[in-house]
Amino acid sequence: MADKTESSPPLPALSAAYSEDGVDLTLIRWMLSLSPAERLEVLQNTVASILRLRGDQN
Amino acid sequence: MATKTDFLAILQTMAGRGVDYIVVGGVAAVLQGAPVATFDLDLVHSREPENLNRLLAALDFLEARYRTPGAETARPTYSHLVSPGHQLLMTRWGPLDLLGTIGEAQGYSELLDRTVTLDAGQDLSVQVLDLSTLIQLKEQLAHDKDRAVLAILRRTLEEKGKGS
Repeated sequence: MADKTESSPPLPALSAAYSEDGVDLTLIRWMLSLSPAERLEVLQNTVASILRLRGDQN
Repeated sequence: MATKTDFLAILQTMAGRGVDYIVVGGVAAVLQGAPVATFDLDLVHSREPENLNRLLAALDFLEARYRTPGAETARPTYSHLVSPGHQLLMTRWGPLDLLGTIGEAQGYSELLDRTVTLDAGQDLSVQVLDLSTLIQLKEQLAHDKDRAVLAILRRTLEEKGKGS
């Protein structure tokens, strides 16, 4: 059982995740960690999931 | 008409028929690591006569039709594709925009030395417009939708620079 008094490790400041113009750098770093083929697969899955949410038959 | 968006299948169809093209737009950005979503595949095609014939064969296989209102049954023809204009098509694997030129009237031959060759998977190599040129083109366009993506492209280029 977890000790409720145990303190969690500090998280990095959220501001570190964003550039000064508001771009989420964590997504960029994640995409850059993938190969081009994997990036294309992410895009296709993203498009398919959005279309499914929208109710299209995709 | 499209039942499943599959950009890779469209690119494979083009490659299988020997079509010369450059991937531009959102898919080009994604292939280079930018986390953006896009619903169409933008290609700048070579307008050399032999290439246009190969492209027409690929489009026939893809069951390409215009998706512009009022022209949904029209098929792209040689005279459409030889023009510098943009052909907005729907295919069996989703929306495909064929662009004769982009930016300041830059066509396939002008853009070719500003591309990178990337492995898109399943043994398919594609010519992709490099990130710096994509950013330049979006800066020239200055549409609201392009400005929104510009910040992401610039940061992606920065992050790539840190990694290399």
